Amino acid sequence: MLLKASTLSVKKYFPFVQDLHLYIGLFISPFILIFAVSVLVLNHLGSLNNTSPVKTTMERRLKLHPLPYDTTDLGTGKRISSHLGVVGEIDHVFKGEHSLSIGVVRPGLETHIEVNTLTDSVYIKQDQTGTLRATTYLHKMPGPHLAMFRKNAGFMKLWSILTDMTVYMLLFLTVSGVFLWYFLKVERKMGLYAIGLGIGVFTMLLLLIL
Amino acid sequence: MVKSSLVKGVVYWNRKLHIHLGLFLLLFIWLFSLSGLLLNHGDWKFASFWDERNEQKTTTPLRVPAGLDSAGILRYITAQLGAKGEVTEVKLYPDSVDFRCEVPGHIRTIHVDFLKGLCTQNEIQFNRWGILRTLHTFNGVNKENPSKPASWLLTNIWRFTMDAIAVGLVLLCFSSYLMWYKLKTGRLFGWLLLLMGLAGALYFVWLLRLL
Repeated sequence: MLLKASTLSVKKYFPFVQDLHLYIGLFISPFILIFAVSVLVLNHLGSLNNTSPVKTTMERRLKLHPLPYDTTDLGTGKRISSHLGVVGEIDHVFKGEHSLSIGVVRPGLETHIEVNTLTDSVYIKQDQTGTLRATTYLHKMPGPHLAMFRKNAGFMKLWSILTDMTVYMLLFLTVSGVFLWYFLKVERKMGLYAIGLGIGVFTMLLLLIL
Repeated sequence: MVKSSLVKGVVYWNRKLHIHLGLFLLLFIWLFSLSGLLLNHGDWKFASFWDERNEQKTTTPLRVPAGLDSAGILRYITAQLGAKGEVTEVKLYPDSVDFRCEVPGHIRTIHVDFLKGLCTQNEIQFNRWGILRTLHTFNGVNKENPSKPASWLLTNIWRFTMDAIAVGLVLLCFSSYLMWYKLKTGRLFGWLLLLMGLAGALYFVWLLRLL
């Protein structure tokens, strides 16, 4: 009796939760599509490389005006890329004895800069990686690697916020989805089977793999 | 008449698909959402895993029979050690072999010296946060050679699971569009939000590289 009363009192939120579920879902669906498509690409990268290889669109050798190399790696990377007019997230800066290797990335476009610090000569190579690889780059960013470098470009700061937002909203969609299903009496039995099957498959897979 | 009942059928099954597929994928979505957050927030102290790892180095006698090919050598060694998992980074020399054998959260780096008949194993075991993180990325794709197939059956099964979840999410998105389109109210606000999301996604995926 008490349970029924509390269920009824919660049910009044149904239209509000339904609206939130719908509108939040519509807003984040393009981002969910990015993550979903990129999973397929990441898992089958070999097939993509065969059908749509990365295209090198620019290769150039230049002479750099003398620059100080004694700042931080990120500072050096930013200075050199800005000097060369290359815009994007500094992906990495690897220092050799007399060389620097800098990667600058925008989703779908990767620029590799090799600097000889003795002669200030530069080799630049730009690769068009394409839309599908752009989704994989976004999927992996900001990610766990080279955390001290990450979010050095404005777009990456924004993307980092958006990825978190997408995940939190997706979690909200799952919870609100369960809430909405619970009040759909005709779907309750079938829904319980779906949840049970999901739990069963999930548990079995984890038991097998771990 | 036929068209109308067909549309009704599509709408009916689309709604069912959205609800039950969503419920089926619930735990998978939670797993990949949480692990995705962990990967992007390495500074979350409660989910620290690297400092809490168990690392153990052992040396045991192990004689590899002569006459085995490279796959046979790896099979023999992993069977002798009771090691299961995805085998990667294989470096086979005339007198030794080095490789990694990994399941999510448990990595073995193995070196076998054929001449001395000794196997040196470095085992790293992660806590549950580390396991969660590695489940997110465990697809067996070789970075140097992505066309190379995975060596462990369960890697392929887990990769297939990831693919299936991705397809499931795509279906959830498209089924939601149809359900929304059939609603008589809120069409304009829905369009506004969908277009905002689309514009944002297109900016990152496509427009950013042209600017």
